[in-house]
Amino acid sequence: MYAESASLPAARPAIPAKLPVAAIVLWFGALIASSAPWLGELDAGALVSAFWTFDPENYSSVLAHYSWAPRVSIAILIGCGLGLAGAVTQQILGNPLASPTTLGVEAGGQFGITVATLFAPGLLAFSPDLAAIGGGLLAIGMVIALTWRLGFSPVTVILAGLVITFFLGAMNMAFLLLKGEWLGNLFIWGAGSLVQNNWEPFMELWPRVLVLALLMLLLMRPLQLLQLGQTSASALGARVGLIRALALLLVVLMTATVVSRVGVVAFVGLAAPVLAKLLGARTLGNKLLWSTLMGGGLLLLADTLAHWASTWGDGSLVPTGTTTALIGGPVILLALQSFRNTHHMPGQESSPAGFLPKRRSPVLITGVISALLLITVIVSMGWAPGLEGWNWMAITQWDDAWAWRGPRLLAAMLAGVALGLAGTLIQRMTGNPMGSPEMLGISGGAALVMVLIVLSGAEISRIGQLGAATLGAAGALGLLILLARKHRFAGNQLLLGGLALYVFMDAGLRLVMASGGTVASQLLNWMYGSTWLISESEAFGLLGFIVLISSLLLLIVRPLTILPLGDTAAASLGLSVSRARLLLLFLAAVLTASATVVIGPLSFVGLIAPHLARVLGQQTVGRQMIVAALAGGLLLAVADYLSRIVVFPNQLPAGLLAALVGGVYFLWGLSRHGR
Amino acid sequence: MSAFFEVSSLDVSIGEASILRKINLEFREGEVTALLGHNGSGKSTLLKVLARQMSPSSGDVSLLGSSFRTTGAREFARTVGYLPQHPPGTDGLTVRELVALGRYPWRGPLGRYNDEDHRLIDQAIADTGLDHFQHRSVDTLSGGERQRAWIAMLLAQQTRCLLLDEPISALDVKHQVETLRLVHRLAEERELTVIVVLHDVDLAARFCDRLVALKTGQLIADGSPREIMDSGILETIYGVPMGVMERAPGQWVSYVH
Repeated sequence: MYAESASLPAARPAIPAKLPVAAIVLWFGALIASSAPWLGELDAGALVSAFWTFDPENYSSVLAHYSWAPRVSIAILIGCGLGLAGAVTQQILGNPLASPTTLGVEAGGQFGITVATLFAPGLLAFSPDLAAIGGGLLAIGMVIALTWRLGFSPVTVILAGLVITFFLGAMNMAFLLLKGEWLGNLFIWGAGSLVQNNWEPFMELWPRVLVLALLMLLLMRPLQLLQLGQTSASALGARVGLIRALALLLVVLMTATVVSRVGVVAFVGLAAPVLAKLLGARTLGNKLLWSTLMGGGLLLLADTLAHWASTWGDGSLVPTGTTTALIGGPVILLALQSFRNTHHMPGQESSPAGFLPKRRSPVLITGVISALLLITVIVSMGWAPGLEGWNWMAITQWDDAWAWRGPRLLAAMLAGVALGLAGTLIQRMTGNPMGSPEMLGISGGAALVMVLIVLSGAEISRIGQLGAATLGAAGALGLLILLARKHRFAGNQLLLGGLALYVFMDAGLRLVMASGGTVASQLLNWMYGSTWLISESEAFGLLGFIVLISSLLLLIVRPLTILPLGDTAAASLGLSVSRARLLLLFLAAVLTASATVVIGPLSFVGLIAPHLARVLGQQTVGRQMIVAALAGGLLLAVADYLSRIVVFPNQLPAGLLAALVGGVYFLWGLSRHGR
Repeated sequence: MSAFFEVSSLDVSIGEASILRKINLEFREGEVTALLGHNGSGKSTLLKVLARQMSPSSGDVSLLGSSFRTTGAREFARTVGYLPQHPPGTDGLTVRELVALGRYPWRGPLGRYNDEDHRLIDQAIADTGLDHFQHRSVDTLSGGERQRAWIAMLLAQQTRCLLLDEPISALDVKHQVETLRLVHRLAEERELTVIVVLHDVDLAARFCDRLVALKTGQLIADGSPREIMDSGILETIYGVPMGVMERAPGQWVSYVH
C-alpha cells in the first residue's frame, strides 16, 4: 500500500561514537592541563588525594588542597550546571543559540548585584543570591516582553537578549562612572574569577546546583513536548506557558546562583549544548546528559587556560570569564555553519505578527524633526550652565563657543545620521526589526581593534585610533562577507556572525577591565562615546564623508524595497541578489564605521532611529531612510547636549546616555507592538 | 448517536474583524465530518475553537455534555486530538519517539511508560503503515510519510476524536487519497469522531459522512454528501457557478462552469 524505501535502519539510531570520545578527550585534556604544574611538586596519588586531605608538613600539599582542588571542583560543578541550564534553555525556546548568556540572564544577575552593592549592601550580606536572581528575572522578563508579540523566533530572541545585555551593561557602566570608587572590585569579580582559597564556596554551591539540576530533570518530559511546537504541545495536554515559565525560572535560579558567587562565566551555557548537538546528541535526554558533561569539561579547560595566562603573563589576573568568551566565539561560528536552516526551527510559529502603524505625511514629520533638530542646535550652542548658573550666550559670541561646542555637536549629529541610515539599511535587508549596526558586529570589530591596541600597551594618537577603528570595522565586514557568502548574504546569518564578533570584543573588554588602570578608563571613555574627543577637522571630514555616502544611497532604494520579498521573488524580478546585498553591506559597514569612531560601539541609535521612523508612519524605504537619518541626528545631538550638562561640571559619555535613553524607548516601543 | 461536540451561538472575533458569527452546530459521535468553505470562511478557526487552541469571544462549546471551560488540559487531550495545518519541524526526533509523545496526556510529566503504552505505540505505527520508518528521523521523511507520522502520534494519544486541519493540502493525489482512506478506515475501526478541514469537495464527499460548509463566518450548509453535492448549494458555498455529476453511487464529480 505504501511506497517502499530501499535501505532503512532496522534498529534505534545509537549515539555516535565521537560524542563519548570527544567528551573523554576534553575531560582528560582539561584535567591533565590543570594538574600539570602540580605534578612536579606532588606525585599523582598525592594530587588526587588533595581533594579530601592534605599533608600539613608539605606546603605544596596544603596549597593543592585549599587552592587547586576546590578550584577544579568548582569549575567542573559550575560548568556542569551551566551546561545543563543551557541545554534546557535551548529546549524551552526551540533555539540552538539560546543560553543564559545570550538571553541576558547573566548580565541581569550582575546588574542585580551592582544595584544591591550601591543601594542595599545589607541585602548582599544577607544573601547575594536574591539580588542576582532578581536581576536575572528582570532580564529574562524584558527579553520575553520584547519578543512576545514577534513570536519566539530564534534570531529575534537572541537579538532581544543582546539588546538587554547591552542595556544592562550600559547601566552598569553608568554606575561605574558615577560611583566608581565603590565598584572597582566588582569588575574583577564580575568578569568571572574562579580563584578559591578554601572549600567553603564549593560546599555551599554543590547542594544548590544538584537540587536545581534534579528539578530540571523532572521537567524533562514536558520539555520534550515543546519540540512539537506550541499548538501540538498544548493539543497533547501540556500547559506550554507554565512549562516554559517553570523551566526558565529554574534556569534563572541556576545561573543567578553561579553569577552571585563567581561572576559572569559567559558562554559555557551556550558552547556546551551546541558542541553536544554538533557531535550528534539527538534526543533530549542525550542532549541534557552530554551538555552537562561538556560544560564541566569546557569550563575546567577554560579555567586552566585563564590560570596559565595569569601565571605566565605579567602577573595581572586573567579572569575565567575572558577565556570562556574566547571559546564561545568560535563555537557560535561553528553553530552558524551547521544550523543552516534557521527558518525551520522546531516550535517556531510560522508567522510572527507584523506591525504596521498608520502612514503619515513625510513632509510634516520631516519638518517637525528638522525643527526639533534646529532647536536642539540653538539650545546646545547657546544655553548652558556656567560658573554663575544657567545663562544664554549672545549669538555674537558663538564664534568663541564653536571651538568647544561646535565640533562635538556636529560630529554627534552626523554619527546619528550615519547610524540611522545604516540601521535602516540593515533592518530592511534582514527583514528583522531588531537588526542594527551594533548587532551586525561592525561596531564590535572597530571596538575589538581598539581593545587590542590598549592591551598591547601601545600609545597612539587620535588619528591613529581613528584609522585603527576603521580598519577594525573593515575587517569585521570582510569576515562577515566571507562567512555570509555561503548563505548568499542572507540577513539572519549575518546577524549571528555579528554576535560572534561581539563575543570576541567582550572577551577583550573584560580583560582590560580586570587589569584596571588608566588604559581601562581611556578605553571606557571611547567605548561609551565621549564626543569631547572630537576635533574640528575631524568633524568636517565626517560631514564630507556622510554627504558622499548619502548620495550613493539613492542607487539602492529600489533594490532595498524588493529584497525583503525573498530571494526567489527578487531574482525573478531581475535583481542580482548577491550583488545588491554586497553593495548594501558595504554601505552599511562604511556608515557604521564612521559613526563608531565618534560615538563608540554601544549606542542604540542604529536600532532605534529606523524603528522610530516606522512608528512615525514612514513605511517606504526612501521615506524611512530620511526620517531615520534625521531622528538619529536628533537623538545624538540631544544626547551630546545632555552629556555636557547633566553632571556639570563633569561630563558623561554621550553614547552612554543615548544607550540608556534608547534602551528604555526600545523596551517600551517593542513591547506594545501589535496590540 | 449522541452529540460529541455541541456548539451554541458561537462568536469569534479578532480585534475588529468578526471571524465566526452565531454558529450553532452538533457533531455526533462516530461520524466523519468535513468542514468546507472558501479561504477565510472561518473553518480553520472553528476547528481551532473545537481544539481549544482559541477561545470564543462569546457562546459556548460543550464536550460530551460538559462545558469546555471546566475540563483540565490533559483530560481534554485524552479525548480530543488536534493536528495543526503546518506541523513544525521536529529537530531529529525519530518516528517512534514522535509517536511516543502521544502518550503524554495519559502518563504526564513523570509517569513511566508500561507495556500497554508500548503496545499502543506499536499499534499506532502499524496502523499507519510506518513500521519500516519507525527509526528514521521525521525530518527526513517525505510529505505524505510525515503526515502519517503525525497522525500516528494522534492515534497513540488514544483520543475518541481527531481534529485535522487541511491534512492533505500539501500532498499529491495519491497521498491525498491514501491519507483520507487511512483516516476513514481508522475512524471505522476505532469508532472515532473525526472533523477534518478539506478544500477538495469531491474527496470530502467520497470519504466523509457529513459535510458542513461555512461562508464568511456563517454556517450555510450542513448535510450528507448526497444533499450537499448539488450544483445550487455548491454555488452558494464557493460563489462560482458549478455543476455536479454522479458517476457511481457515492462518487460525485464537481466542476466549474
